[in-house]
Amino acid sequence: MPELPLVGIRVLDFTWVVAGPVATRLLADYGAEVIKLERKPGPPGSRQTGLQGDLHRDKRSIAVNMSHPRGVEIARRLAQQSDLVIDNFSARVMRGWGMDYASLSQIKPDIVCVSMSGLGHTGPRASYVSYGPTLQALSGYTLLMTEASGAPAGFGYSYADMAGGYTGALAALLALWHRRRTGRGQFVDLSQFEAVVSVVGPALLDIAVNGRTQEAPNFRSQELPAAPHGVYRCQPRDGNQDSDDDRWIALAVRTQSEWERFVVLLGAPAWSRDLRYRTLYLRIRNQAELDAHVTRWAAEQQAEDAMARLQHAGIAAGVVCNGADLCARNPQLQARDFWGTVTLPGGAATHVTGLPARLSATPGSIRTPSPLIGSANDYVLGDLLGYSAAERAALVEAGAVWN
Amino acid sequence: MSDSATPFPGALAGLRVLDLTDYRAGLAGRLMADMGADVVKIEPPGGDPGRRIGPFVDDRPHRDRSLFFWFYNLNKRAITLDFGRDPGRELLLRLIDSADIVIENFKPGRLAEMGLGWEQLHQANSALILLSMTPFGQSGPFRDYEADDTVLAAQGGMLYVNGWPGRQPVRPLGLQSYHAAAYFGAIATLCALFARDRDSRGQWIDLSMQEATACAVEHVAGSYFGEGRIEPRRGTLHWSRYFRVGRCRDGYIMHCTLGDWTSLVEWVAADGKAQDLVQPQWEDVLYRAEHAEHLFDVLDDWVKDYARDELLERAQALRLPYATVRSPEALFADEQLAARGYFVEVEHPELGRSFSYPGAPYLFSGSPWRVTRRPPLLGEHTHEILREELGLTTAELAALTAEGII
Repeated sequence: MPELPLVGIRVLDFTWVVAGPVATRLLADYGAEVIKLERKPGPPGSRQTGLQGDLHRDKRSIAVNMSHPRGVEIARRLAQQSDLVIDNFSARVMRGWGMDYASLSQIKPDIVCVSMSGLGHTGPRASYVSYGPTLQALSGYTLLMTEASGAPAGFGYSYADMAGGYTGALAALLALWHRRRTGRGQFVDLSQFEAVVSVVGPALLDIAVNGRTQEAPNFRSQELPAAPHGVYRCQPRDGNQDSDDDRWIALAVRTQSEWERFVVLLGAPAWSRDLRYRTLYLRIRNQAELDAHVTRWAAEQQAEDAMARLQHAGIAAGVVCNGADLCARNPQLQARDFWGTVTLPGGAATHVTGLPARLSATPGSIRTPSPLIGSANDYVLGDLLGYSAAERAALVEAGAVWN
Repeated sequence: MSDSATPFPGALAGLRVLDLTDYRAGLAGRLMADMGADVVKIEPPGGDPGRRIGPFVDDRPHRDRSLFFWFYNLNKRAITLDFGRDPGRELLLRLIDSADIVIENFKPGRLAEMGLGWEQLHQANSALILLSMTPFGQSGPFRDYEADDTVLAAQGGMLYVNGWPGRQPVRPLGLQSYHAAAYFGAIATLCALFARDRDSRGQWIDLSMQEATACAVEHVAGSYFGEGRIEPRRGTLHWSRYFRVGRCRDGYIMHCTLGDWTSLVEWVAADGKAQDLVQPQWEDVLYRAEHAEHLFDVLDDWVKDYARDELLERAQALRLPYATVRSPEALFADEQLAARGYFVEVEHPELGRSFSYPGAPYLFSGSPWRVTRRPPLLGEHTHEILREELGLTTAELAALTAEGII
């Protein structure tokens, strides 16, 4: 197996829920030794399959009671042997344990601490309780997740947790790189709210500079102008699940030559010669009427076939993939072997999300399933921290460690 | 703007990035520039097509007034160079000699056709890291396919799960496939820097925007692989079934049933709106998820006469994770963002104005995010870089201009 790029970096991981584990999962996939410190018992439900399996793979787990002084002592000793300590609590939690940057830098001067709290450690709302869905509501995404007009129609999931997770991984790597270059540690105060606000994009400058009230983008192009541009319903598939019958194609016709090829592909229908569709400017102005024609065409198409024919004509198009399309029958993702596989302790295999960036010499890898809670107790307490078997048994007896 | 003489350089200070991308992949270099890398954007003589995308300052279209371009190119320098032909290609190779990172988003194979493929670049500079960001990656049956952000959102599974059941999928605000890809690109580049630190060798990063999008959809793959379930569109009901949008008398709020249940139900009961929620089975968080539709219907009836800000303040005082569903305009009046200095004033001297830019998503105590320069005008640094770094003379620059190379 090729070397992993982050080999030699050890992470003491206090994160939980979604955003924090997304960040440390990326570090783990690329080779950092991530030691997840957690309570026992954990939250209900399996954590070896589904999202939970995805979030914690390639990590180790120790079960340490931070309400016990000897549990805190274990965590502090482990921090001394770590490069990065990361959490997604509000400010008071790590401070209460003496695990904040000010305390840890006393015993490990070059430690890097990244805290991924909801709204940051400072400011009048620092103590607000939040989750990804509430942060994307505060940021403007939810209000503008609508059809042409009307009430919010999404999200069906938390994008804020993913954006926060990627920002967290990047923050950790930037601070570790700075330390590699200078020998100095530091504290990174990451606000998940600010992380998701930062990916709103140019709309924020439109507000700041032009004072314009933003409308729901829906399928108005937010990049190069295009018309037609949107999603169009295709013929149902005779699927096993109802939701599998719900077929759509997304397409974007941008340039004049794309439009001419699009018309040929449609068989040059009479309506396509209408002067109202002669230029891109006119097609955008008359988009509603144009969409009605494209909608009638799409309804006769099989989505995969339409995608192939449009792409062969050089027109941006793609099936609106549902879970089965994405995970089991996307020709591109299959050909690139995107989905990873891990073998669970019982021997069964489960698929997990892959890595979208492939490094030619030191690719990341997916190695081990989500760990059972406390499964690395012996390695961490014994091999790393030097507690004897008898001392480890005493720690369990005292309630500082869960077996 | 921050003082460039500050004692703390950014984390990527000393790194030279050549950014050959257009508007679809500009954010990756921006993330590096914000942290101190010297990012030189190399545009064709006509400019990045992103300069033609609106909105524009005062709605007056101009290549140096595109807010779209500004967002993706803050802190970069920019030169124009047609490197598709000599001597432009040779000049690019000379710049690559001293570069650490090249970012590009040409169609797969296009750089190699120009004699600038990975093998050639690696031979020219064995420590160079090449980040290639393409819609579908460098291999596979779709590698030559066309895509914009909408098609990527479709092919990455992001579109299907947003919107109402039975109705058309709905797209999010912002180009989120491009944005997710940019973060993965920056993360992978940092990983390559750590690897290079050990053996002085660069490598080629093949990033698929489709795959980045698939990662950025929280639940679809987990539900499919874990339970064989195709996630449907659910309107505003979060797939975990603990969040749904409700309507107050003056706008929307986000309900959350993961906070302290006793506090919530006592409050609702005090308002005379608890209906059956006082029954003990609702104390079980899994029961609340299982019966989410009824639960949120009861809570919707409870909040409908509240003003949303009042509801938010009272909920947060009880540590209930409620939020208001706000417009993006509200961010500019947000006390928390203001207190943390999130928005940053950036001067544009040629316009005689300064503008408020969205700022840092993270506060670094030792190697800060900062604004060092406003987004570049077209070709603003061409002479500076070609003259000072490559030693070209005024006559040579004039000849290149006459040939349309710069």
